[in-house]
Amino acid sequence: MWWKTTSVLILIYVIIAGIGVPLKPGIDRVAPLSSKAGQSIELQVFGYNSTFSETASEKIRVWLEFDSLHAIQSGKVDVKNDTTLLASFQIPARLPQNKQSVLLNVIVDHPTNGVSLLPAALEVLADTAVNTDAGNWNEHPISQLHVIKDFSYPYRNVIYETIRNTYFHVPMWFALMFMFIASVYYSIQYLRNPVAENDRRAVAFTETGLLFGFLGLVTGMLWAHYAWGKAWSNDIKQLMTAVALLVYLAYFILRASFDEPEKGARLAAVYNIFAFSSLVPLLYIIPRMFASLHPGATGNPAFGSEDLDNTMRLVFYPSIIGFTMLGVWMAQIRYRSLRLRDRLADID
Amino acid sequence: MKFFKTPRILTLILFLVIHLPLLQAQGNRDFMRETGKIYVVIGVILIIFIGIVLNLIRLDRKLTKLEHQLNEEKNEQSH
Amino acid sequence: MNFFSQFFTLLKKEFIIEFRQRYAISGIVLYVFSMVFVVYVASISIKGQAQVWNILFWLIVLFAGINAVVKSFVQESGARQLYYYQLVDPSTLVLAKVTYNTLLLLVLNLLAYGTFSLVAGNPVKDLGLFALVILLGSIGFAIAFTFISSIAAKANNSATLVAILSFPVILPILLTLLRLSSIALRVIQDTAFQKDIINLLAIDGILIALTFVLFPYIWRD
Repeated sequence: MWWKTTSVLILIYVIIAGIGVPLKPGIDRVAPLSSKAGQSIELQVFGYNSTFSETASEKIRVWLEFDSLHAIQSGKVDVKNDTTLLASFQIPARLPQNKQSVLLNVIVDHPTNGVSLLPAALEVLADTAVNTDAGNWNEHPISQLHVIKDFSYPYRNVIYETIRNTYFHVPMWFALMFMFIASVYYSIQYLRNPVAENDRRAVAFTETGLLFGFLGLVTGMLWAHYAWGKAWSNDIKQLMTAVALLVYLAYFILRASFDEPEKGARLAAVYNIFAFSSLVPLLYIIPRMFASLHPGATGNPAFGSEDLDNTMRLVFYPSIIGFTMLGVWMAQIRYRSLRLRDRLADID
Repeated sequence: MKFFKTPRILTLILFLVIHLPLLQAQGNRDFMRETGKIYVVIGVILIIFIGIVLNLIRLDRKLTKLEHQLNEEKNEQSH
Repeated sequence: MNFFSQFFTLLKKEFIIEFRQRYAISGIVLYVFSMVFVVYVASISIKGQAQVWNILFWLIVLFAGINAVVKSFVQESGARQLYYYQLVDPSTLVLAKVTYNTLLLLVLNLLAYGTFSLVAGNPVKDLGLFALVILLGSIGFAIAFTFISSIAAKANNSATLVAILSFPVILPILLTLLRLSSIALRVIQDTAFQKDIINLLAIDGILIALTFVLFPYIWRD
């Protein structure tokens, strides 16, 4: 019984920490979006979760960055309120590497909020009318940044708060994998020792795995709708997951199409092992061959370390454990109901 | 376990289906698209919760059926 | 009897059965011809695109393959299967079946390639690679379809079951084949296709190993 209570306690912790812990401050957007070389502009920076007015405006530094060698620092910074500040820049007349247009990152360094970055925020076009050499790209290199280490989740543009879905959507896949591994284990056990016990366990774990797969697919579609713009973008992982669910639906069709339950159980166990082995290339080899919108797309089917910081790990791993234990619990109840059904059928 | 009978669940789902578009219609933009998108997280948690609850209801019904079967058999034996 | 003499006897038996019931093999060949023709007529408007040719070719191969292999277990009556069961080792039997079906699919695929390139043109630029892809595809399809049809033959509604059970399993092979053959058609440029070939060989290897280990459990009745 203790592990059932533990799984619920872990999940309560995951939900509270997953929703309660704030995001790091970040830059939501800037205005204007484009400018010309050689001009001086007043850039409006809109913060997210930020407390700009917490310190004197002289201590806030703002840069426009092209790469590590090319960056300009703002002259005067004017804090309007907690989430808005004005920074004036004199953009040099020549663009780095003599390009016609460049996309610059905006970097804000704040003593208490820490450093935040908005990639490709401002587009600067070359202006042929200006032919002075005024301005220099590396007068004030980016240095002495305030890196704040506190208990908060990283800020990512576009996904914002939905980074918390990492604790609810991703563990579905881990739980699914554990359920299917357990199911295959009991299928192998059934072939070695054909007692109904092993078959019932395999069925219960497969059903629970399918539930997690379905939930993972639906939650993924909801997240994708707001992060990628479309609920179904034919991403290779979405397709492969849909196919994996088809495999296990076929498993239940196969079971149901035999008159003698013993024969159905044996052949379903064989198919389960066969299908699980084909799931490995489906989920781990094929996604490497095609481009994907998922993080860690090229080469790494799992999560890259840059997608998960230490604070997130403190919630992410417990979440996997919690959902897996909850899955085992659900599978156990299903297994017990199957056993009850079989016992009743034997009496008949 | 009369509580989990279908009509109530259906009423709840109908309520949500009817009211969600109304909630959305109040703002010009989809409320889930607000800066921060925290409602997407709430939505994901709700989907998982509803999925697990629906699974529990399914199990509950199966067990109720088995209990009925068991009771019938006991009655037959006692007669 | 040792393994090899058993294996070759069984392989010979497959050929003898096939040539005794000549209508079955002629049926499959006709199936390929009519499918090629129907696909060609239906896709005249999009002719000339190498990628379309590629996809249509592999769909023809897939459906011809599934029809050719399914009969290998369904055509044999229960009594005859019981007879084999007493005589031979099930692993040897399934290996003979897989070998025979590989050869059958190889012939059918070459036939499909010949007729399809006759009517719809031949966009293949790298013939060596394409031949290798056809060979690997025949092996993979033969293993998966033989195994699945041996499961489905035990059930009542076999034809539907084979499609339901095998398409998800075949998908990794099909996707890799499509990718490799579009490299052979020069639709996409990729110099590192050796990795895909190794993937395909690995999948084929896993499938044949599983078939070898699991088939005795299907066979037992």
